Amino acid sequence: MEDKPVHPYERMIGAIALLLNDGEFAATGTLSPIPAAGCLLAQHTHAPHLAPMIYGDPANRISEGLHEFFGFAQRGGIDVFFLSGIQIDQRGSINLSVIGDYGKPKLRLPGGAGSAMLYSLSRRTILFTMTHTKKLFVPKVDFVNATAFDGDVRTPWRRGGLSHVVTPLGVMKFDREKKRLALDYVFTGGTVAQVVDNTGFDLDVAGREIPVVDPLDGESLRVLRGPVLDKLRTIYPLVCRMVWG
Amino acid sequence: MGLQAGAHNLPFIPVLGLLGTDYMTIRDDLKTVKDPYSGEDYVVVPPIVPDVAVIHGLKGDRFGGVTVLGARNDRLLATAARKTIAVVEALVEPDEVLPGLQEVYVAPLHIDAVVVAPGGAHPTACPGRYEADATHLSAYVAAAKDAAAFRAYLDTYIFGPADHDAYLDAVGFARP
Repeated sequence: MEDKPVHPYERMIGAIALLLNDGEFAATGTLSPIPAAGCLLAQHTHAPHLAPMIYGDPANRISEGLHEFFGFAQRGGIDVFFLSGIQIDQRGSINLSVIGDYGKPKLRLPGGAGSAMLYSLSRRTILFTMTHTKKLFVPKVDFVNATAFDGDVRTPWRRGGLSHVVTPLGVMKFDREKKRLALDYVFTGGTVAQVVDNTGFDLDVAGREIPVVDPLDGESLRVLRGPVLDKLRTIYPLVCRMVWG
Repeated sequence: MGLQAGAHNLPFIPVLGLLGTDYMTIRDDLKTVKDPYSGEDYVVVPPIVPDVAVIHGLKGDRFGGVTVLGARNDRLLATAARKTIAVVEALVEPDEVLPGLQEVYVAPLHIDAVVVAPGGAHPTACPGRYEADATHLSAYVAAAKDAAAFRAYLDTYIFGPADHDAYLDAVGFARP
């Protein structure tokens, strides 16, 4: 297992782990195996007091229902949450509803669920994507389910917003002053040009030295493929079989 | 939150989020009101009161007491709906309707009918009892793409089997 080449998803897990701090309360929602693994990896390495709440984890007992979790988030219980989208744009808006016109969509998806609330009421949100293409990273999303920051409309309850986007190619960072995403670093094995070519908006790379980083050192890889994977298999058995066999 | 408003018979309820998103343009039931205390604008939604809710329980008794999975919103649904049908994995005596790990109790007050159907969540999962039937779900997804194939699916699994037992036989459900 140690000799198997590192999967891009494993680097994403490493990158997510590095973004988490000891003592934070991180939560993951439905269909979020990569963030769940990132939280577990952080907990097993530099952040032993990270308290991840992984939705779907049989060991995680809540008293009742998603509304309990939403209420907890609204009261400020969540430091870090993870969201994704079928489209993400330069302003960090996410689309989980439709591709094309809302009234006559080319593709209709299940929708945003609690994302609009969680994006603004978690202290910070990390977006993750399972691919990195121009179809996903678009100049402007077809439908805004949730926003990364308060633009023209003030939301009195907003506590946080977007911090980073983690993709199979690297990590983008949200620039709070310019209110836009910028490339932070590229994973080992990839190039800045590759990321730029597969992103449908400007990543603000002109004149900047973008580092190439491996967010997963040997020890982290060992922990990931050991105790983290053991735990992850109890929550996401199908995904684990697909990625790790 | 709409269900919370429904469960309490409130005319509307404020929700956090949504402001600044495209939901506000496509959903004409989303309105804003001024918070009389702070003066800030909040989004409100009307109550959701389902005519009928169908929930899946683990255990149930003949008076309507049931246990359901805590991670779902089944108890909230049951308290908001006009009528609630609980499908349960097992019928037990009232003093045995005790929530297990990950379960909560729903009182008979909210339940109008209990249907005993072991395996009743198939092809989806009943966590703790059986996993989702991935093979069957894939077959369903494939069949749903084409009208004739979908008709064949319905004939084989929905209209064909005489009862729930026959359905479980047809889909090859492994009974405990």
